[in-house]
Amino acid sequence: MTSVTRRKFLRGAAATLLTTAALAGCSVGPSGSGGGEAITFLTFETPNLTPAYWDAAIKRVTDKHPEIKVTKLVAPSADGRTAYAKQLLQSGQFPDVLVGVSPAGFAEAGELYAWQPDDLKDFQFPTANPIQGKYFQLPANTQTIPPIYYNKKLFQAAGVTGEPKTWDELLAAAEKLKAAGTTPFVIGGGKDGFASSMILAGIVSTDLYGDRKDWLSKRREDKVKFTDPEFVVALEKFGNLAERGYIDKNNVSRDYAATEQAFLDGQGAMYPMGNWFAASADSKQHDFEIGVFNFPTQDGKLVVPAYTGGGMIVSANAKNQSAARKFALAFQLDKEQLDQSVKADGLFPAIKGYQPPADTGPVFKAGYELYQKAVQENAVVNAFRWETADDGLLPGMADKIDAAAQDLVTGRKNAAEVATYLDAEWTKAS
Amino acid sequence: MTTHTELPAGRAPTAPGGGRTTGTPPARRRRRGAIRDRLAHFGIFAAPGVLTYACFVVAPIVLSVYYSLTNANPFRPPRRWVGLDNYTALVQDPEFLTALRVTTILTLIVVIVPNVGGLLVALLLDKRGRFYNAMRSVFFTPVILSSVVVSVIWTRLLDVDGPLNRALRALGVDDPPAWLSDPDFALYSVASIISWQMIGFCVVVYLAGLQGVPVELQEAAALDGAGPVRRFRAVTWPLLAPALTINTVVLLISAFKTYDYIKVITNGGPGAGTTATIAFNVLQTGLDGNHVGYASAMAVLMLVIVGVATAVALKILRGREVDL
Repeated sequence: MTSVTRRKFLRGAAATLLTTAALAGCSVGPSGSGGGEAITFLTFETPNLTPAYWDAAIKRVTDKHPEIKVTKLVAPSADGRTAYAKQLLQSGQFPDVLVGVSPAGFAEAGELYAWQPDDLKDFQFPTANPIQGKYFQLPANTQTIPPIYYNKKLFQAAGVTGEPKTWDELLAAAEKLKAAGTTPFVIGGGKDGFASSMILAGIVSTDLYGDRKDWLSKRREDKVKFTDPEFVVALEKFGNLAERGYIDKNNVSRDYAATEQAFLDGQGAMYPMGNWFAASADSKQHDFEIGVFNFPTQDGKLVVPAYTGGGMIVSANAKNQSAARKFALAFQLDKEQLDQSVKADGLFPAIKGYQPPADTGPVFKAGYELYQKAVQENAVVNAFRWETADDGLLPGMADKIDAAAQDLVTGRKNAAEVATYLDAEWTKAS
Repeated sequence: MTTHTELPAGRAPTAPGGGRTTGTPPARRRRRGAIRDRLAHFGIFAAPGVLTYACFVVAPIVLSVYYSLTNANPFRPPRRWVGLDNYTALVQDPEFLTALRVTTILTLIVVIVPNVGGLLVALLLDKRGRFYNAMRSVFFTPVILSSVVVSVIWTRLLDVDGPLNRALRALGVDDPPAWLSDPDFALYSVASIISWQMIGFCVVVYLAGLQGVPVELQEAAALDGAGPVRRFRAVTWPLLAPALTINTVVLLISAFKTYDYIKVITNGGPGAGTTATIAFNVLQTGLDGNHVGYASAMAVLMLVIVGVATAVALKILRGREVDL
């Protein structure tokens, strides 16, 4: 090979390399967008919300709107979907439509489309979860967090009659169950920290929010603290359950799926969990009847913690934003989709005039009745730890609440120490 | 071998006798052209590697250092320069200091246990035969499994009512440990899981090292009356020094970066920070808490600590290595 030929070859090789690199750079982005009005849609999967569930749901919308071409993206884990959305935003790949992702942070940074009153006219609670006075997430469904599901067979065996309404009645029931050799409460944790803090969420929501619905807003304004007596009392009540042996501290490493299975296997009598558990309760195998009651309050007053939201958010910078908004609304308002969400995930659709299908299971029906009654009596409050708007925890604090709950259960810290820890973490998160 | 020295422009090279070279201007141009060609050729071949390294290693590190000196929070623009504030806050942050302690303990266990275990297994398997070949594969299998898969399997095995505790109860242990939910046990359980997976890697490296120990030296030592222990101490162990260096450095770096096992097995708990490593805190602070600047400072400190620890380990271990 002469030097001239070699030089030409090298130049050609360099040109090829650079062209390949440039083309590779240009090809970043979702595949399969196809023609029409292409959008990307970030979903997440759980034992209830399977790939088939999402595919069918998307197809129902695109059958009605064939001009919309949807590329489905799936978050690597259900619990980490918001963190994943942040990664996508940072890398310039923010999806056009996202479901079940907390809008906090994204909204303030101007990354989300603010839904207009006309968009929200069909929703039951159009003013749920305001962020700086605007609404970024479709208030598509309500979840009560946590009602207490219970094993009727174990209740009967322990001589517990009736469903506890007051805190003392709950303690009395727990004592009887423990005396009968049954673990009163089923909790979990491990990689799914929320399963550790469900009872704490119930106590704070009913005790604190029952009287002061804006407690967390006040915390954001630094007008109250976790070390204030009313919050410490809530922490003490929770820690006391563990001290009395009503909670098995060895279960704080059990993940959500295993925790659910433990209750279905009869390894504990009461399971405080979001109402999405109703879908599993009605569909999975168990050899006992499951009942459900509202989280008891100190004096028996009706207070039901719930979170309304969970719906779709749309990127403010979506290339086909009109298609993204059309898709999101069509998805959330489609009757068949709503029915499927009820059956698959036990959701309470917050759509005006919606009635769940008649063939839902008994556990769902019982939970839905409890919620409807709370709505009628104006007894619904925010579910502590689950809020996502201006009245919610600061980013990153939910994990700290879960860790604090585990420290109380294992006895590693007392209520005062946990409260101090939470205030310190809040300062760091601010 | 010839060397080429470029002279300042306008000066012609002198011949060994001090006289002017016979090079004419066209000849000099040809030589310069040849040097340029050669540099261009090197450049073209080196460019992909250099660019890749610059894009994926140098740039992220430089960016991390930059972010660590700011209050970067993607949801709270604008980004503001804060100097060393993040570092000052870090060294006073109990959460970071706990993570540093957790990471150090985890790293020590993950460096020592697989090294010792791997060496023992390698000595046992340093023989010929199908059985030994099969056993080498058995010990190496965990290495090729995903850390997430390993974590999920061990989470089930170590459950308080899982197979391990059921077996212990069957053996008469009334109250077996809560391996993952007891704050006093969880870190050691996670470290054991990582060690279990890494033993196979150490076995392979030590086996390779053992293959390089000359048989003559062993035989000579035996003829001199050295027993197996003495032969190991005087002959085998010094010659395994390079293998020890590789294993120690690889384990040290990978253990210090541990994130995936923690995320899947304990999520940093039970409780606040009992198993949270620095890498785990970096991601939690940066992605969940949105404090990218603070998280970057943690990452930079982690890089410095790993760099220094690796350099010290290399210095010490290389000093032990012998050339045959």
